[in-house]
Amino acid sequence: MKIKKWRADAQALLFLLPFLIVYGLFTIWPMFKGVEMTFYKWTLIRKMDFLGWDNYSKVLQDREVWEALGHSLIFVVLTTPTMLVLSISLALIANRKSMLQKFYRSIFFIPSVLSVAVASYLGLFVFQPYTGLVNSVLHLIHLLPGGTEIFWLTETRLAWIAITLITLWWTVGFNFILHLSAIQEIPDEIYEAARLDGAGDRQMFWRITLPYLAPITKTITMLQIIASFKVFMQIYIVTGGGPLDSTRPIIQLIYQTGFKSNDLGYAATMSYLLFVILLVLSALQYWMNNRKGAEL
Amino acid sequence: MQKLVDEFNKSHPDIKVKNTKLVWAEYYTKLITAVGNGNGPDIGISHTSRLPDLINQGVVTDLDAVAGEAGVDWATFNQNLLDATVVDGKHYAVPIDTHPFIMYYNKKLLKEAGLLGDDGKPVLEQSADGFLAFLKTLKEKLPAKTTPFALSNSNDDPYRLWWALYSQLGGNDLVSDDLKKAEIDKAKGIQAAEYIQKLFTEGYIKKNDPDFYKNFQSGTAAIMMTGVWATGTWEATKGLEFGAMPIPKLFGQEATWGDSHTIILPLTKSEDPAKRKAALIFADYVAENGQIWAKAGHIPSKPSVLEKQEYKDMPYRSDYAAVAGTVKFNKPSTKNWQIRDNVSFKILNEVWANKMKPAEAMDKMEAGVQKELDK
Repeated sequence: MKIKKWRADAQALLFLLPFLIVYGLFTIWPMFKGVEMTFYKWTLIRKMDFLGWDNYSKVLQDREVWEALGHSLIFVVLTTPTMLVLSISLALIANRKSMLQKFYRSIFFIPSVLSVAVASYLGLFVFQPYTGLVNSVLHLIHLLPGGTEIFWLTETRLAWIAITLITLWWTVGFNFILHLSAIQEIPDEIYEAARLDGAGDRQMFWRITLPYLAPITKTITMLQIIASFKVFMQIYIVTGGGPLDSTRPIIQLIYQTGFKSNDLGYAATMSYLLFVILLVLSALQYWMNNRKGAEL
Repeated sequence: MQKLVDEFNKSHPDIKVKNTKLVWAEYYTKLITAVGNGNGPDIGISHTSRLPDLINQGVVTDLDAVAGEAGVDWATFNQNLLDATVVDGKHYAVPIDTHPFIMYYNKKLLKEAGLLGDDGKPVLEQSADGFLAFLKTLKEKLPAKTTPFALSNSNDDPYRLWWALYSQLGGNDLVSDDLKKAEIDKAKGIQAAEYIQKLFTEGYIKKNDPDFYKNFQSGTAAIMMTGVWATGTWEATKGLEFGAMPIPKLFGQEATWGDSHTIILPLTKSEDPAKRKAALIFADYVAENGQIWAKAGHIPSKPSVLEKQEYKDMPYRSDYAAVAGTVKFNKPSTKNWQIRDNVSFKILNEVWANKMKPAEAMDKMEAGVQKELDK
């Protein structure tokens, strides 16, 4: 018995080896190298001076870093709850028996196959003044007086709205599919029984659908928070982080510090700060999920 | 550039140049990392403004010894362009052009407004008030949909205009001579910024123009300012009757923003002297045959090229070739690009959007420049 198990393990290891090598080389090793970088003044081509803990004390006092983190947090708060509501709503719409069922499923999902650059440039064209879709429609229905324009991308608040809408449109498809398949898993008998007991649509949604979706919703929430914290490209393309850095997320600051200001050591330090924050968030989420599970 | 390489390879059988095109935004990062790994090219291109940073990082080598061997005569270059490539008394690059900030105008629209002289040049008094009066007439005489002055509302081009006017006022760069301190000539910076802010607030420049190039290209803007590289594009546009000229002298002295492309020798593993010599022969050849490169609109770095019939036969270029002598380059600071991207652009953008007073902007710029220099 024991020998058999050992052989099975060895076989598994053999098959895993190619992956482990690549994973180690391109993920684990750079992580350690990254830690080393945080202790140096390290430019694109060479390690320069040993700084000790300087980068760490600097990062904790750097207003730019905390502001950028704040912007990433704003993005998380703007996108995560709206994403969940939108994703569940779309899943409910697409799950209803109707002629348009297939049509809904495709149009809700299609945007998520686009690359970030395509999605962002489309967004840029939609929100730009004079010729953009949004302003043109507003002019058409006379909500916006002729001769005036809304400058979506150059006012901080409006820029956040534009970025959020673009992101939701682009990424909701994936979460929508997850929610849709979870809805389809709910046994019809439960709804039937509830209907016999006299439950209305609203009650069935709150008492049956939503609780059944709770596990997948929790997973989506966590993935969404982490993904939103790592936001970069769409903001970079749409506003460039402006006006006056008011929408610049932490990843953009890391990129600028590393590759524009040529200070990889400090950029790495910021990355680890973000890493720790995400780690704490994940642990918190894990702990909360487990506690809730125990209560049930 | 490919055409230049082909012709060079034909005429120099013993030297072979291979050309690699890279996406512009990634070029410097790739160059620096490649040289760091020892896989750098034998020859490279750099902007003059980027040179100090490359020298500081040990990416490029100085050229004085090998230039002599390759027969490069520094005296044949435009002195202004050449001076900008000399750091600590050593030549680090062979300038092949300059691409300054100039002014384009739409002849049809200017004529309609009665502002086109018989010589095909704008009727424009070269002074701060004169230029404002010129724009005012354009705005009054042309249909409301026409933009008097097409200019981007953010980043490069309005910054270039600011730099030009700041330099015309005699402003002396943003950093001190020892390159360690932020040193902005604030009164002059404010005056230049106030002047440009007025162009925006008084409606001569279209607010948040999504594409000011297209605006001028489609014939709905009377004038526009940008780098000389637009010449090639306008030429290829059917039905666009345009002219090109140096930007007007609004203040004390002629000056404009500009940068140069230069040929550099990146540090290589072997440092093969024969290759280095060959590279410089190529660099000199490119500069000597600047008329080919000038097709894109750039001004050649050797005055002798300007005398060539082939160059003179190209329209527009001669109208602004003299600008090469008045380009005001940055001091050789290693932080030029960071200062521009991370500080000047974003703060001046706020001034153009009328959200910040020029005086406050200059204070913020000084603090920002100092922060970049301290990094």
